[in-house]
Amino acid sequence: MSGVSPRVRRALLLRSFAVQGSWNYRTLIGTGFAFVLLPALRAAHAGDEAGLRRALARHAELFNSHPYLATVAAGAVARLEAEGAAPELVGRFKSALRGSLGSLGDRLVWLTWRPACALLGVCLLLAGAPWWAAAGVFLLAYNALHLWLRAWALDVGLRDGLQVGRALRESPLERLGERAAGAGALLAGFGAVLAFGGAGARGTDQLLGPAALAAGILLGFRTRRVAFALLAATLAAGALYLRTR
Amino acid sequence: MTPGPGTLALLAVLGGAAALDGTSLGQVMVSRPLVAATLAGCVAGSPAHGAMLGLFLEALHLGVLPVGASRYPEGGPPAVAGAALFAGSAGTFAELLPVVLFCMAWEWACGATVQWMRHWNARAASPPEETELDPATLERRHYASIAGDFARGAVLTLLGLALLAAWLRAGPAEWTPEPVARMALAGVAAAGIASSLRLFGSRRLPLFVLGAACGVALLVLR
Repeated sequence: MSGVSPRVRRALLLRSFAVQGSWNYRTLIGTGFAFVLLPALRAAHAGDEAGLRRALARHAELFNSHPYLATVAAGAVARLEAEGAAPELVGRFKSALRGSLGSLGDRLVWLTWRPACALLGVCLLLAGAPWWAAAGVFLLAYNALHLWLRAWALDVGLRDGLQVGRALRESPLERLGERAAGAGALLAGFGAVLAFGGAGARGTDQLLGPAALAAGILLGFRTRRVAFALLAATLAAGALYLRTR
Repeated sequence: MTPGPGTLALLAVLGGAAALDGTSLGQVMVSRPLVAATLAGCVAGSPAHGAMLGLFLEALHLGVLPVGASRYPEGGPPAVAGAALFAGSAGTFAELLPVVLFCMAWEWACGATVQWMRHWNARAASPPEETELDPATLERRHYASIAGDFARGAVLTLLGLALLAAWLRAGPAEWTPEPVARMALAGVAAAGIASSLRLFGSRRLPLFVLGAACGVALLVLR
């Protein structure tokens, strides 16, 4: 249907794991996108070496996307190239697609799925699970979506071509992100309490737990810097105390 | 305790793989501090110590977002270096505190080298005026960038190991009493984990509170 052979499809999927291999500030993942697309371009321009070189130069230009959803664009462009679509049309299609692939993937994967899975691993460790279970469950849970997403996105691109926008709108990705965010919030509360509660605080030290939780919620992304400063101050105070004793 | 040559070589490979996994290749999340530190702990002889360090680093890494061209700390190679040395310790919180502190600082340094590499990659990318591109040239550029990233991770891991070993020889593990170090680390880990609520949206505070109540219940029952 898509005019792309199963062998090329497998090569596209495999190469997509290296789509960010040459990430740079000029073409972003453009070079990587051309690298992913190369097997499809070779098939589409078989016997036309100059055509292949021109197509490769076009696809090595600026492009950006979430790395897992880049296969949507790769699949759709592979189909368009196989059908002999005009380069201008392919260029406009890529430009239109890159913003939505970036924001959709960032929201689903970086903002919700990955932290939720990491929190699952952290919570398991805090609850007393062995180290291999914590790391293993995190990797399995995270990559279940990751690997499915790459394969699904490639299929959508190859199947729908220029119509991938509708397929993305009708996909369950937004709903999945909502559910992952809910689970992540639950795990964050659970893990934050276990992280401090497991330290065996006594007396007034116990007040530090709720204070730490409140500080984390209020500080948000600044927590890391404040935590670094607090740990450094703790260490420095200890060194000073030892020196003056 | 400094690891032997064979272990160092394995750690360098692991650090390189963690750097690759961060952006360039795979992104299957072996570069996350929880996983990278646990694996480095396995290599150095104590996965439980590695996981312990990984837990604290992960808690403080949850809010790091690799979105677009943003600058962010790199978690993989520092976690490998830190876990490799922490694995040889007695595993106290007083020993853990300076290792966590070093790893957090090293994460920023490693993140800066990611920026340099991306500028270097930009010079290697095809010029805008190029209307034809040879497939072999493209593949060579791409593989060279990936190899460069691996080498960067391996070097940063070994450099991190050397710097951390020198820092630990100064005796920071003896500066903080164990109960103080335990409270400080538990507090920042709890705050780091709680801060991830910002990722999920403040409207999910009721779910966060429900999770916290479950945590309290588990602590009471235990």
